[in-house]
Amino acid sequence: MLDGLMNGFSVVLQPMNFLILLSAVFIGFIGGALPGISGVILVVILLPVTYGMDSTTAFMLLTAIYASTVFSGLITAILYRAPGTPEAVMTSFDGYPMTQRGEAGKALGIGILSSAIGGLVGTIALIVFAPMLASVALKFSSPEFFALAVLGLTVVASLGGSLLLGLIGAMIGLFVASVGIDPMTGTLRYTFGNLNLAGGIQLIPIIVGMFAISEVLKRAQGNAPHTPIKKVKIRIFDMPVIRRIRLTLARSSILGVAIGTLPGIGASTAAMVSYSEAMRWSRHPKEFGKGVPEGIAAPEAANNAAAMGALVPLFALGIPGSGTTAVILGAFIMHGLQPGPSFMINNGDLIYAVFVGLLIVNLLILAFSKPFVAVLSRMLNIPYSALGPIIIICCVVGTYSVQNSMFDVWLMLGFGVMGFLLEKINFPLVAIILGVVLGPIAESEFRRSLGMSQGDPSIFFSRPISATLLCIAITVVTLAIIVPLIKYLRKRNARLGDAHQ
Amino acid sequence: MLDKYKLAAIGILGVSVAAVSGTTLASSEASDYPSGNIKALVAAGAGGGTDNFTRQVQPMLEKRLDTTVTVIDLPTASGAIAHQRTANNAPDGQTLDFASSTLITSLAAGQNPTGLDQLTPVARMQSDVMTLIVNPDKYENFQEFYDYAKNNPGEVVIGGTAAASPDKMAFLGFKDASGLEMNFIPYDEEGSVSSNVLSGNIDGMFGEISSILGYMESGKMKPILVFADKRLEDFPDIPTTVEKGWDLTDGNERGVFVNADTPEKTVAAIESALKDIYESDKYQDYASKVHLDYREGWMGSDAYRKELKADLKQYKRLLKNE
Repeated sequence: MLDGLMNGFSVVLQPMNFLILLSAVFIGFIGGALPGISGVILVVILLPVTYGMDSTTAFMLLTAIYASTVFSGLITAILYRAPGTPEAVMTSFDGYPMTQRGEAGKALGIGILSSAIGGLVGTIALIVFAPMLASVALKFSSPEFFALAVLGLTVVASLGGSLLLGLIGAMIGLFVASVGIDPMTGTLRYTFGNLNLAGGIQLIPIIVGMFAISEVLKRAQGNAPHTPIKKVKIRIFDMPVIRRIRLTLARSSILGVAIGTLPGIGASTAAMVSYSEAMRWSRHPKEFGKGVPEGIAAPEAANNAAAMGALVPLFALGIPGSGTTAVILGAFIMHGLQPGPSFMINNGDLIYAVFVGLLIVNLLILAFSKPFVAVLSRMLNIPYSALGPIIIICCVVGTYSVQNSMFDVWLMLGFGVMGFLLEKINFPLVAIILGVVLGPIAESEFRRSLGMSQGDPSIFFSRPISATLLCIAITVVTLAIIVPLIKYLRKRNARLGDAHQ
Repeated sequence: MLDKYKLAAIGILGVSVAAVSGTTLASSEASDYPSGNIKALVAAGAGGGTDNFTRQVQPMLEKRLDTTVTVIDLPTASGAIAHQRTANNAPDGQTLDFASSTLITSLAAGQNPTGLDQLTPVARMQSDVMTLIVNPDKYENFQEFYDYAKNNPGEVVIGGTAAASPDKMAFLGFKDASGLEMNFIPYDEEGSVSSNVLSGNIDGMFGEISSILGYMESGKMKPILVFADKRLEDFPDIPTTVEKGWDLTDGNERGVFVNADTPEKTVAAIESALKDIYESDKYQDYASKVHLDYREGWMGSDAYRKELKADLKQYKRLLKNE
C-alpha cells in the first residue's frame, strides 16, 4: 500500500496534474458556495471535458471537485443563512447565529477546520479500510436503514423549545416528503394532477426558501438593525475552541464515514444524524441552535467525512453511495473502466492517485479557503438593502438551474414565506428539515423491510443491527417522556406537601 | 373534342407540376431545419444511461446539424416532465426528448400523461437485453432458481428500480409467463438493488449485463436468464426465455422523440441525422465501450412506433393482472 501511495504522490505532484487539482478545488469552492449548484451538477458539466484526459487525471479532477463542493456549502450557510449545498443546511443552525453575534470569523474557522478534519478522516478510512467498510455496509439493508432514520427522528424529543412544536414540525416535514409518486406502488400522492408535484418536492427549494429567503424577509422588516461587519478575522487554529470541540469532531467524523459508506444514504443525512448525536451527547443541549461551536463542528466534520465515505462502496464494490458518486460511476464506464469488486485491484495506480489527490485536496481546503472566504465575507460590508436582493437573485437562479423549473422557484418562494411566518412563533425549522430528509427513508425502508419478510414485522428485531438501533430509539423516546413526567409529579407532590403544611 | 381532352390533360398536368414544385418548395423549407438552437431534454437523471447517451450524441448532432444543442436533465416523475415539455413546445423539431423504455412503462402505469398521440418516435438507437441476475452463492443456475421459486411460492424476492420501471415490467412479464409466485421490491437507486443482491438480502434483480460486468468477473453476480429469442453471442451459456417456452422478450431501449405535430419532413431530417450518427465509428466506439452492442440498436420512426404500441399494450395487460 505504501508503494502505491508513493506512486500516487508522484503522479499527483506532476505540475499539470497539480494545476488541475488546484483548479478543481477552486471550481468546487465557487459551485458549492452558490445555492442550488451542487456537486452533482458541477461533475456533470465537467464530465465531457474529462473525455480528452487520461483517466487518472480525469478522476482526480472529478473527485476533487466533489470534495471541495461539500466543503464550501458552509460559507454562505454561516454568513447569510443561505446553505450553498443541501449538505450544509445543518451548519446554518448554529453558524448563522454566531455571525449575528459578530463571531463570523470564529464560526467560519470552526467550519473550515471541521471540514478538513472530517475530510481527512474520511480519506484515510477510504485508503485503509475501504474493502472492510464496504463489506460492513452490505450488512445494512432496509430494516437497518429504517432503524437509523427512526433514531435520527427521535432527536426531535431533545430539541430546545417546545416538544409539541417539534413534533408538529416533524409531521409537516413528513407530509411534505410524502408528496409525489409513491415509491412502492407508483400511486400519485397529493399531486392534484400537477406533473411538477409528481416528482416530489425537492430538497433544494425547501432549504433555500426556508432558510435564505425567510431570513431576507425577516431582515427586510428592519427590526434587527444591520451592523456592517468591517473585518472578519478567520481563526482556524483556535486552541480553546479546538479543545471544546475535539470530542464532537472525533465522533462526527467517524459517524460521517460510517453513514457515508451506506449505499443510498448521503452526506446530508450524515450531517443531520451527527448534529442530532452532538446534541444528545452534549451537556447543554438547549444551547444548540443558538450558536454553539459543536453545532458547526458536528455537521461539517460529518458531511465531509461522509462524502469520502460514499466513495468506499463505489471503489470497493462499484456501488454509488450518493448522487454525485453515481455520476462518477457513469464516468468510469465512459472512460472504459470496469467498476466492480475487482476495480481496486485492477486499477491500483488510478485509485492511489485519486486517494493522494483527495488527501491533498483536504489540505488545500485548509490552506486556500481562508482567502476565498475572506472575499465572500467582504460582502458583509454591503448594506443589507443591497445584499438582500443579491441573495434573492442567487437563490432564484440557483433553484431554477437544478431542473430548469419555474415551478421550483415558486415553491422556494412559498417555503420562504412559510419559514418567515413560522419563525415569528419560534417554530423549530430544524424539525421540519429532519422530517423532510429522514421521512422518506423511514417510510420506504419500512415498507421494503416488510416486503423482504413477506409482511412479518419481527424482521426489525431479528436482525442485530436494526434491533440495537431501534432499542436505543425506544429508550430515548421513553426517557424523553418519563423524565419530565417524574419531575412534574415530584413538583406537584412538593407543592401538595407545601399546601398541607 | 379531343382537343378539349388534351386541354384538360394539359391543365391537370400543369396543376400537378405546380403541386410537385410546391412540395419541392416545402421540402427545401424542411431542409432549413434546424432554424435555431436545439434543446435535448433527458427524461432521466444525470450520470445514468440515458444521460450518457444524450451527452454522447450531443456533439455529434451539433456537428451534423451545424447548430448548438443544450442538454437538460429532467429526472423527476420518471421523466414525465421531459415528455410533457416536448409535447407542449413548438412542433419545430428543436425540442428533442431523449427517453428510455421508462416512457412506455410509466405511461402504462398512469404516471406519465404524455402518450404516443402527443409524441412522435424519431428513432431508437439503443436496445439492451433484460436478464435475470442472481447471487451465485444462492443460485448456481436458472434451474436451481426455478426449482426453489416453484417449491417455495411467495418466498423469492426480486429487487428493481422504481414502481413502474422496465425492471418491474420484466418482473411482471416473467411472473406471468412462468407462473411462479414471487415478490417485487422497488428501490430508489440501482446501487441499492445491487447491494441487496450482493449481500443476499434479496434473491435477484432484473437488469442489463452491461451494468454488472464487474461483478460477473469477480463471481459476485451472475445472469441466469436472457429475455431474448436467441442466446447472446458473447454469453452462449445463458438460457433464454424463448427456449424455455415462454413468449417473452424484453430489454431497455433508448431513443429520441419529438412533438407529434412536427412536420414529417422535419422528423425525416432528424431521423437521417441520427442514422448518420448511429452509423459513425465514433458512436459505435461508444456503444461497444458501454456494451450496448449485443443487439442492433437502430430502428426507424415507423417501426419504432409500432413496437412501442405493442409494448404499451403488453405492459397495460401485465399491470392489470398484477
